Amino acid sequence: MRDFTYVIKDPVGLHARPAGLLVKKAGEFASRITIESGGKSAEAKKLIMLMGLGVKQGAEVVCRIEGEDEDAAYEALANFFKENL
Amino acid sequence: MGFFQNIFGNGNKEEIIPICAPVAGKLVPLSEVSDPTFSDGILGQGAAVIPTENQFFSPVDGTVNTVFPTGHAAALTSAEGVEVLLHIGLDTVKLNGKHFTIHVEEGQQVKKGDLLLEADLEQIKAEGFDTITPVIVCNTEEFSEIMMARGNKVSVGDTIINIRKE
Repeated sequence: MRDFTYVIKDPVGLHARPAGLLVKKAGEFASRITIESGGKSAEAKKLIMLMGLGVKQGAEVVCRIEGEDEDAAYEALANFFKENL
Repeated sequence: MGFFQNIFGNGNKEEIIPICAPVAGKLVPLSEVSDPTFSDGILGQGAAVIPTENQFFSPVDGTVNTVFPTGHAAALTSAEGVEVLLHIGLDTVKLNGKHFTIHVEEGQQVKKGDLLLEADLEQIKAEGFDTITPVIVCNTEEFSEIMMARGNKVSVGDTIINIRKE
C-alpha cells in the first residue's frame, strides 16, 4: 500500500474537470485507488463519488493506492495532483 | 416508465433507459459544448441543452448523490444505476453560488420532473458565462451505447438520451 497527502490549491477545488481527469488517470492502473477527505472516502475511478466528496481549496486529501502496479500509480497520481490541483 | 423493459427479437433482451430533458431549450450534441471537459467526453457521453427557462428538473427517477454547494451542478443515480451529472453553464463554478438556488438535498429521492435547481439565466449571461447545460452519463463505460435523441426544441421531460444496457 502506498499513500500520500495533498492540500488542494485549485481555487475551485476538485470540481468537474479535474475530477474527470483524475478518474481517467486512475483508470490507467489496476490498483484500487481511494481518495479521502473530510471524513469521507471515494473510489478515484468513480466520478460521481469523487465529486460527492465536495473537496474545496485548502482541503487535505489522502490518496491510498493498493495493488500490483501501486508504485507506478503512486508516481502518476502524485504528479497529477501537483499539476492539476 | 423508468423500470419498463423493452424486449427486441427472440429472447434478445435489451433495456433502453431514457434520460429526460432537465430544462426546456435546444438539444445539441456534446461536441458543440465549447469546453473540452465536456466535448472531449472526459466526464462521459451525453447531450447538452441550451436552456430557455430558469428551472432545472430531475432527468431521472432516482437519488440525488451530490449537489454542489454552488448550486451550478448536481449528480444523481437513477433507479437503473445510471449516474447522471447535470452541469448548468460552463465555468459557472466561479460564480460561487450567485444566481443559483438549490431545491434538493443530498441523499434525497426524486422523481423525473422534480425541481432540483434554479438559475437566473439572464444574470449568468450578463456576467459573461455560457449557460449551455451538459447532461452527462458519468458511468458511460457500464453501458453498451449512449444515444442522443433526435429533436431540436425540447421541453422538460422529453427524452434527450437513450442508454442501451445489455
